[in-house]
Amino acid sequence: MSDRMKIFLLLLPAMSIIVVLFFGGLLIGLMRSFNYMPVIGLTEPDLSAYASVFTDREFYYSFLLTFHIAFTSTVISSILAIGAALLLRRNFIGRGVVNFLFQLNLTVPHLVGAIGILYLFSQSGSFARLAAEFGMIQRPSDFPALVFDPYAIGIILQYVWKEIPFIGVIVLANMQSIGEDYESVARSLGASKWQTFRHVLLPLIFPGVLSASVMVFAFTFGAYEIPAILGANFPAALPVLAYRKYTDVDLAARPEAMAMAIVIALLSALMIYFYVRYSRRRIRG
Amino acid sequence: MTHVSIQELTKVYPGATEPSLDRLSLEIPTGELTALLGPSGCGKTTTMKMIAGLLEPTSGDVCFDGRSVLRDKPENRGVVMVFQNYLLFPYMSVADNVGFGLKMRKTDPAEIKRRVGEMLDLVKLPDLGDRKPSALSGGQQQRIALARALIVQPNVLLLDEPLSNLDAHLRFEMRDLIRSLQQEMGITTIFVTHDQEEAVVLADRVALILDGQMKQYEKADVFYKRPVDEATARFFGGHNFIPGHSNGRAFDCALGKLVLPEGAKSGAGKLTFRPENVRIGHDADGENNLDAVIEDIIYLGTQTRLKLRVGDTALEAVVNPNEIENHPKGGNLPIHMPRTTLWVIE
Repeated sequence: MSDRMKIFLLLLPAMSIIVVLFFGGLLIGLMRSFNYMPVIGLTEPDLSAYASVFTDREFYYSFLLTFHIAFTSTVISSILAIGAALLLRRNFIGRGVVNFLFQLNLTVPHLVGAIGILYLFSQSGSFARLAAEFGMIQRPSDFPALVFDPYAIGIILQYVWKEIPFIGVIVLANMQSIGEDYESVARSLGASKWQTFRHVLLPLIFPGVLSASVMVFAFTFGAYEIPAILGANFPAALPVLAYRKYTDVDLAARPEAMAMAIVIALLSALMIYFYVRYSRRRIRG
Repeated sequence: MTHVSIQELTKVYPGATEPSLDRLSLEIPTGELTALLGPSGCGKTTTMKMIAGLLEPTSGDVCFDGRSVLRDKPENRGVVMVFQNYLLFPYMSVADNVGFGLKMRKTDPAEIKRRVGEMLDLVKLPDLGDRKPSALSGGQQQRIALARALIVQPNVLLLDEPLSNLDAHLRFEMRDLIRSLQQEMGITTIFVTHDQEEAVVLADRVALILDGQMKQYEKADVFYKRPVDEATARFFGGHNFIPGHSNGRAFDCALGKLVLPEGAKSGAGKLTFRPENVRIGHDADGENNLDAVIEDIIYLGTQTRLKLRVGDTALEAVVNPNEIENHPKGGNLPIHMPRTTLWVIE
């Protein structure tokens, strides 16, 4: 058997899952978004679902909210993760323990984290009660709205909490494989600590930060469960909106749900493309 | 123009029981090229990093022109270190790499461009400015790393194993380049190496460090002629160490009574001489003549190594292959040792 054939056979199981489930699902979704469903007699594809998505004001609010959630959580967790990695790569007593604690919540499911946030930060949650107990606010309901709020603070909090260790672990591994010699070179050539970070370490870890943050962005842009649990009713995040349409009693809303899902996929691909291009030029140029 | 003085410099890494460097003291005169020579792990690179300020010494001091620099940050010491694996910044062009130090000093971009051009000419790679480091050969990367260091006009230049990653033919080219640049700019230069040949061809003076301690600090030829002890002599390829007793003029040992040069040590000790200083044939004056048996002949191309025996004492000699063409293995070989080539160590 030729090597080429072997590689093909070895990849076949994984590839068939990707092709059948992913592209198959995408294709069906695409067809339904164009109102094309021969099984129930819809054989004339049209763009009416897209038209109604794009003429709906709620869609634009939802898009802005979802972008805000994804962008803000990605930026905050990337910055904090880099900071954490900078601290954790140093040698200090108890580093092993701190490292373990830092990575611990990687194993906690998003849903569990979201419920934790709900219990802690909602206006009837633990912090609100404690603040009222200690007289910082009069009633628990005076606690600032961090959950179900229009700025999606609770959602962002949950994502940041969950994604810092994810990005941090990647960046830390990256820093450790790079070592400290490049920074030593820079220092001895006259770069200050900050210059060394900005002009040497950051560009060196940048590919790792970039791929990790793109994953986080794509995930937070397309995830349903966290905004469903912690988000306000209006505007809802795009995936929540799409799901609502999908489960609408009116079956005619389904093509709209599919159209919205396709638009979410295209938008996140487009935004990732621009993010990668722009940030590459800024950091390495 | 900087006189570097290292005083009792010691480094014990956290968790280590033995110091990596034990009270090293060195005076490196302005503009000289000094080698720190020693096997891997003897504390050479540790010393360099402490001079550069990249590592804090456990005790001791580093002074430039009489002033302690231990409190100075690395970027303010005027010391540039060139690492063994060059460490060019992979995401920058060659020109940006060379100009890095000036950019950090916020030099005017036009000025940076001009000086980068000059430096690239100086290291004889004028056309490579736009390339990425990954597109360069090892020798070219080495020269760019040197250019990147020299552009900031350091007072002290530190080189970590500068020739060890280069092919034989590049080594001499690089050696000449380093020497000529260093002398032209008058930069006090320290380099570390585990290769005695590299130390000898490049340095004005060599400091030999064994087990974290300095053994000897001298001009290179002294290590061959007058080593301080057996470990030093062995590091430089010495093989012959014959125990006996010296009265300052002659050495009494298993080989007989051999005449010593002036200034030789008195008392119990070991006689040492370089394998290449053993002469074939007897001396006409009868001084230090010996009759040896050839135990083995090892042909090395340009030289031949001989394993000899005089009585029960084994000796090694390195001779010109032509000299022993007619002497078979197992045969007798008359030899003599000129008194100036002998040396007594403790």
